[in-house]
Amino acid sequence: MAHAAQVGLQDATSPIMEELITFHDHALMIIFLICSLVLYALFLTLTTKLTNTNISDAQEMETVWTILPAIILVLIALPSLRILYMTDEVNDPSLTIKSIGHQWYWTYEYTDYGGLIFNSYMLPPLFLEPGDLRLLDVDNRVVLPIEAPIRMMITSQDVLHSWAVPTLGLKTDAIPGRLNQTTFTATRPGVYYGQCSEICGANHSFMPIVLELIPLKIFEMGPVFTL
Amino acid sequence: MAAPPEPGEPEERKSLKLLGFLDVENTPCARHSILYGSLGSVVAGFGHFLFTSERSCDVGVGGFILVTLGCWFHCRYNYAKQRIQERIAREEIKKKILYEGTHLDPERKHNGSSSN
Repeated sequence: MAHAAQVGLQDATSPIMEELITFHDHALMIIFLICSLVLYALFLTLTTKLTNTNISDAQEMETVWTILPAIILVLIALPSLRILYMTDEVNDPSLTIKSIGHQWYWTYEYTDYGGLIFNSYMLPPLFLEPGDLRLLDVDNRVVLPIEAPIRMMITSQDVLHSWAVPTLGLKTDAIPGRLNQTTFTATRPGVYYGQCSEICGANHSFMPIVLELIPLKIFEMGPVFTL
Repeated sequence: MAAPPEPGEPEERKSLKLLGFLDVENTPCARHSILYGSLGSVVAGFGHFLFTSERSCDVGVGGFILVTLGCWFHCRYNYAKQRIQERIAREEIKKKILYEGTHLDPERKHNGSSSN
């Protein structure tokens, strides 16, 4: 989860998120260099003693400041498209979970190997145990195996919601009447948090998502397979 | 502000953010690129001034941008190669641990094919 006042990305828990962090670093370096150049130009403009007001054209400079941004955009677009297509790769998921958004909770369905269906409500502050996270912890977590491709089918029963888990690099809209799909493979066990990311009413901020990722051996012994 | 590191976990370095957003301490290759870029800027600007005795700030800034960008791409390329190699090594170690002694042992397959 994010720590207080965090502005950067969370550590990656999936290969796609690792790629996204790499791309973010790449874009940030390009932005830094452009900002440095602009700051320098600003400094020169503010401190120059030259006051020629009759300049009417500067063909070479105009050519440079047209072509250079185009090159920069290509340098940013190529890795971006690479990751975009990577997220759409077919990877034969081992498990499919349905996630249905409601006002204001999530319903999860494990229907591959049985009929496990449960609701996931945020724990009200009065029901928090010591160590629980306020506005993040839920009564029933989504328990999933690590190192196995998982398909999430996301929809909504009422209004727009969005199922997001930043550490996995996931954010998919839950749209009523539509089934959206996202796949991921978690690389390390742990408890990971997300929050609804599409305004959906009064308690939009109070319908978090909690994934509990565990080793496959322990997952196979769990309730999904003993139904 | 960050959670304290667990024992055995490498401590996250204090972040130094250039222009308020580029974290050079915790972004791989950033510190290396900026330092080389600064050096390149000084060398280019000073060298230009020595040879021409003209204003060299523009050359210095241009040198900074080009050297930083060049070092950045070079370092990130090597970093990406290293990550891929680490991932392959991790997978091979895992496979070796899982399949050692069985008919799926990669070493047995390799020895078998080389003796043939």
